[in-house]
Amino acid sequence: MSILSTSKEIFFNNIAAIILYIVSFSTFQGLKEIPDLVIFSFNLQMIIVYYYVLKFPDHLGLGHIFLAGLVNDVVIGIPLGISSLSYLVLSFLSSYIREVTLRSKMTSEWITFIPALFFSNFIYYLIINNFSHLSFYYVDLLRNTFFTFLFFPIFYFIFNTFHTKIYKI
Amino acid sequence: MADSRDDFIIAVRYALLKKGAKQKFSLFFLIILSVLIITLDRISVPFITSSRAIINDIVYHVAVVVSTPGKFVKYIGQVKTNHFYIVEENENLKKEIKLLKLNRYDNLFLKTENESLKQALKLGGAKNRDQKSSVRARVILDQESPYLKSLLINKGTKNNIIKGMAVFSKSYLIGTIVETNYFTSRVLLITDLNSKIPVVIQDSDVNAILVGMGKKTELDLEYLPNEFALEPNKIIYTSGKAGFLAAGLPVAESYLNKKNTVHIKSLADPRQASIIHVTEGQFNK
Repeated sequence: MSILSTSKEIFFNNIAAIILYIVSFSTFQGLKEIPDLVIFSFNLQMIIVYYYVLKFPDHLGLGHIFLAGLVNDVVIGIPLGISSLSYLVLSFLSSYIREVTLRSKMTSEWITFIPALFFSNFIYYLIINNFSHLSFYYVDLLRNTFFTFLFFPIFYFIFNTFHTKIYKI
Repeated sequence: MADSRDDFIIAVRYALLKKGAKQKFSLFFLIILSVLIITLDRISVPFITSSRAIINDIVYHVAVVVSTPGKFVKYIGQVKTNHFYIVEENENLKKEIKLLKLNRYDNLFLKTENESLKQALKLGGAKNRDQKSSVRARVILDQESPYLKSLLINKGTKNNIIKGMAVFSKSYLIGTIVETNYFTSRVLLITDLNSKIPVVIQDSDVNAILVGMGKKTELDLEYLPNEFALEPNKIIYTSGKAGFLAAGLPVAESYLNKKNTVHIKSLADPRQASIIHVTEGQFNK
């Protein structure tokens, strides 16, 4: 019984890292798998990283973020370390926002997601352009970033509900 | 002013250097590590290249397992869609067979005439496209990213796959090998923005470069002469220039879209490819 409850506790404590790894391994892009909703692709990794570093930093280790980024690079086929650096920059901005925010509000965290997304994507494209000879679909990426921002409140609500139910926070 | 600057520096320092119960590494350390990895990957040190090949093999196999549920859902969707289209396709195929039967006799005549003319010109008989050395492989991962339109296959350097080999699905070119590991390889699809194939257009001597635009139905031709207007229903073949691919491989076809403008589509459907052939027979040595 205690083994079961311990493994359950470990699972729920590491759920963010587990989701992050699954998403990275499967290169999940939201609703892109459904032909009619192909336009609504978004980056779930960035939402998870931003949300958890901002709200529950003890539930998602930076080492996991780094490793998930490496996995993402390998699966997508871009030079190693680019996604990791992008996610870590997002973590840094998220961590900074957490430090300077006095009262946590969904709307303010949603708005601060814009500069955080902008800087992490900026680093990403900067390195891609200078450290690889890959060409990109900039419109697709811009669209992806926009929908990542747009869908943030939905996942904010889902994660908040999950934590309220599990940890009674 | 000085206070606010101090607050900013304190917050930045705290965000970069803080370690907690779950945080075994500081953000600063991991950022430096990422930069180091990017630099080493860029330099392409032999040790790093071989390590990356091993990591790739492991990650690809885990990715195959992780993406299995998603693949199953996709498969169910495809079966459903195929069911609705199959009757219509059957009708079209019947009509096409009738037409092809008529054309076949013409082609046989032209082939015989061509052979005899070549012999008369001492150019030798028409060589079959050498696919003796082709390697049959299975697509293990076909998740598309916004960055690269590529496939992962279950054959690598162990099966003599090398970079630059041509990849075919149902006799049509779908891409080229761009990355090889011991057990797996990555195929860059012709629909990718980075794919550039020298081609020639049917019934003309116009050369161009076929470039992917991300979709099967949206390829593009670069370096076309200004006065040249592409007509619909023209097959686009590889020109064999630049010593990359053999000449005469059908790659794409022009068509009229709903707005009556001429577009180019790939003859193969890379997203439907499950068993592919990797060949060096098509590779100009």
